[in-house]
Amino acid sequence: MTREPAPAPSMSGFDLVAAGPREASDPSGTAAARESVPPGNPSVTALRGHFAEAVFRNRICAGDEDVVYVDPERITDILGWLHDDADQHYDHLADVTAVDYGGGRPLEVVYQLWSIPNRAALRVKCELPLDALAIDSVTGIWAGANWLEREVYDLFGVHFNGHPDLRRILMPDNYAEGHPLRKDFPLRGRFSRAEQTRRALTQDPEDYYVPGEIGERTPQVVEGDGGAGADSGAAGGDDV
Amino acid sequence: MGLDKPGLLGSGTPTFLTTRLDFVVNWARRNSLWPMPFGTACCAIEMMASAASDYDLARFGMERMSFSPRQADVLICAGRVPYKLAPVLRRIWDQMMQPKWCISMGACASSGGVFDVYSMVQGIDTIVPVDVYIPGCPPRPEGLIYGLMMVQEKIRGESLANHTALRAEDPLATGRPRAGDEEVSDLTGPFGNSTHQNRVSGLVETDAIGRAEDRLP
Amino acid sequence: MSSAVDYVVGRNPEMGPDGTPVPSPIDPFDVPEPELGSSTMLVNIGPQHPATHGVLRLVVELDGETVVSVVPRLGYLHSSFEKLGEYRTWNQIVTLTDRMDYLAPLIYNCAYVMAVEKLMGIEVTDRCRVARVICMEMDRIFSHLLWLGTWSIDVGAFTPFLYAFQQREKVYRLHEALTGARITTSATRIGGMMADLPEGWARGVREFADNLPATLDEVDALLTCNAIHVGRTQGIGAISAEEAVNYGLTGANLRASGVPYDVRKDRPYYDYESYDFEVPIGCHGDCYDRYLVRMEEMRQSIRILHQALDRLPDGPMDVEDPRISLPSKTDCMSDMESMIHHFKLITEGIPAPAEDCWFSIEGSKGELGMYVVGDGGPKPVRWRIRPPSFVNLSAIPRLAEGHLMADLIMINASLDIVLGEIDR
Ligand code: SF4
Repeated sequence: MTREPAPAPSMSGFDLVAAGPREASDPSGTAAARESVPPGNPSVTALRGHFAEAVFRNRICAGDEDVVYVDPERITDILGWLHDDADQHYDHLADVTAVDYGGGRPLEVVYQLWSIPNRAALRVKCELPLDALAIDSVTGIWAGANWLEREVYDLFGVHFNGHPDLRRILMPDNYAEGHPLRKDFPLRGRFSRAEQTRRALTQDPEDYYVPGEIGERTPQVVEGDGGAGADSGAAGGDDV
Repeated sequence: MGLDKPGLLGSGTPTFLTTRLDFVVNWARRNSLWPMPFGTACCAIEMMASAASDYDLARFGMERMSFSPRQADVLICAGRVPYKLAPVLRRIWDQMMQPKWCISMGACASSGGVFDVYSMVQGIDTIVPVDVYIPGCPPRPEGLIYGLMMVQEKIRGESLANHTALRAEDPLATGRPRAGDEEVSDLTGPFGNSTHQNRVSGLVETDAIGRAEDRLP
Repeated sequence: MSSAVDYVVGRNPEMGPDGTPVPSPIDPFDVPEPELGSSTMLVNIGPQHPATHGVLRLVVELDGETVVSVVPRLGYLHSSFEKLGEYRTWNQIVTLTDRMDYLAPLIYNCAYVMAVEKLMGIEVTDRCRVARVICMEMDRIFSHLLWLGTWSIDVGAFTPFLYAFQQREKVYRLHEALTGARITTSATRIGGMMADLPEGWARGVREFADNLPATLDEVDALLTCNAIHVGRTQGIGAISAEEAVNYGLTGANLRASGVPYDVRKDRPYYDYESYDFEVPIGCHGDCYDRYLVRMEEMRQSIRILHQALDRLPDGPMDVEDPRISLPSKTDCMSDMESMIHHFKLITEGIPAPAEDCWFSIEGSKGELGMYVVGDGGPKPVRWRIRPPSFVNLSAIPRLAEGHLMADLIMINASLDIVLGEIDR
């Protein structure tokens, strides 16, 4: 019951290689790409109908994968609509990630969607200029986006507005060398190995008991008025 | 007990008493090595396999995997150690009682292995002293057992006479790198072409920056 | 306490024979309570703890024995696979993939090359497709067996651990026969496998598949109706279908909640639609259902193994395209052309088009996605893994809330996580 495979682009595989590398995001080609809309995915057509000016362009990658480039300002509207609309129903957020192409080109935030009832996939991309790495968080739509967005923040430095808990997730909290998956970050880190070792060992493993990160429910808050305070505290902080 | 008086067990020449006592003590230590498994990644699975049905570490005196560092004799560091885990490893080592030994199992623990990257400790010997390195990715269970037997061999040669000298620890060194700055740089220098491989697709190679303001006081 | 009556009155007023409270000489709530329950306690589990299945760290806030909240701390095994991948050629990355999920290395090897082959537009041979299905199903069992062992240790049973490891040793030997390594297999290459299946290997797999059900039956008898096991897992860590989808759970954790989402059925690859197997689903979404689903999945994998072994065709293993596959070793050693060809392929690598490709398969832990971005060169611009256990684990604060501390261990075990893949 998969949907019809979209017609493959005329070039594929090694022919594309032979044609030489091309710019990953080609701003000058936007208008041309908008004209030549690849046919196929009904979601893309519907999306263009609904958010005409916010959908920049779309293309088909690797044979049958639909990619839509949208306006980062409208991302929560667009993804919320894709999630809620009865015809689209993209209820499974498979992945949130980012791609840095290097060379000062804009960084792409990638949302990979899947609709369990319709068995359809869609990839939504937003391009963010390197000097304004901020986008709205989609944790309100999918709870599963929480850690995925934190990871993108940690490794790329993209700021997700409205995220409930935007902290580093993989690197240490006090990591000072930057965001490792950016292309300007050297493979071995920015500091010397000796410095990295010393920094690592000066961390106190217990530093990470940050009661504050458990929200308002720090032990001190509930002292005084016994159980009632604890209950209301638990209810108040429970927004994940 | 006066055991460290010169002539009895001190720095003098070994006597009949000390050699016999050494033998007994070493025999006891050697055959009841309790490992503290510090398993992080793939190597830990092989460590589990060594303790499970087919290989059965218990035959060699490692009957009890001691998950508490305070009751363990030999730390087996099996797997990758990122910088984030380094203070934990150091803390566990500091918590273990003397006499203690350390085995670095696998390429990653010994030298960083393929992971010559920003987040990985390039060999745990920059953090804790290591007695036996086991090569392999991962070492086979036989390799781990052989490494443990080498620790036993090492214990056989130890003597109470130079015990304090061998095992002296500087309490101030707790939580510090074991190796000095130059030694760390020596030990962890880029190996082969691992990091100087350029990305073909036109990336600018950037060097490590030793900015003065980034250093800790 | 100031009263002359010197018997202790508990919290509950005494009951008369008909069940009504009898007025007690002392108001039971008059006794000043010690300051218990007025504050919560922080308990740290891990990163070095045998029950966290790796270097996971959970900071737990407890009210008595009840979990108020859980804050997982990750990154203690962050080995920067994705960054390292950008400095390696497409084929070199295969060796990194099995170090990520060392519980099911072949699934990772296959998933990665399948994504790259899709990006490059390569069709692998029939024999290779079936061989990879065999590898993947074998490692699904391999990974579930380890989960079974650690799960039973967490529930307090040691015997199933030994049973599971006995069977795992057999898979280790099959890995070794196939690739020479026990865990870090690196068995696949772009466009094929590292080598053809060795002589008699298929027979070994069939033997393993024949013998496994007996072990599963034994474990079934030990655990499935065991009162302790049932008591510790039924109704623990339950999550509804909608919420499970919203949290992005996949794999057995999602199917235990009753959502029949299995990539092998919904987006079939490698002719999975032509294999006859069922997707087990649960209906309560609790730990016990996750256990049942995984046990049944192993039996279904055995079915697939048998069918795949029956249809394993003869023929070449690698695609016959000189731009992808290496010449044979004999040719390299005997004629100059092949030698140069070999040298060029190894040093220059295989170029990939400037496109991106998302490909996901049903891994042992859930939906395992690979997102590869090429730029026309022999190295990726970005290689991203959609880590199933990372997303599954992100639901643990929700699953554990309100349960007892001991249940948290079971919930963690039921999610079947592997830290190498969570932290990458
Ligand atoms: S040495 Fe190899 S097997 Fe061991 S942890 Fe490192 S990568 Fe894994």
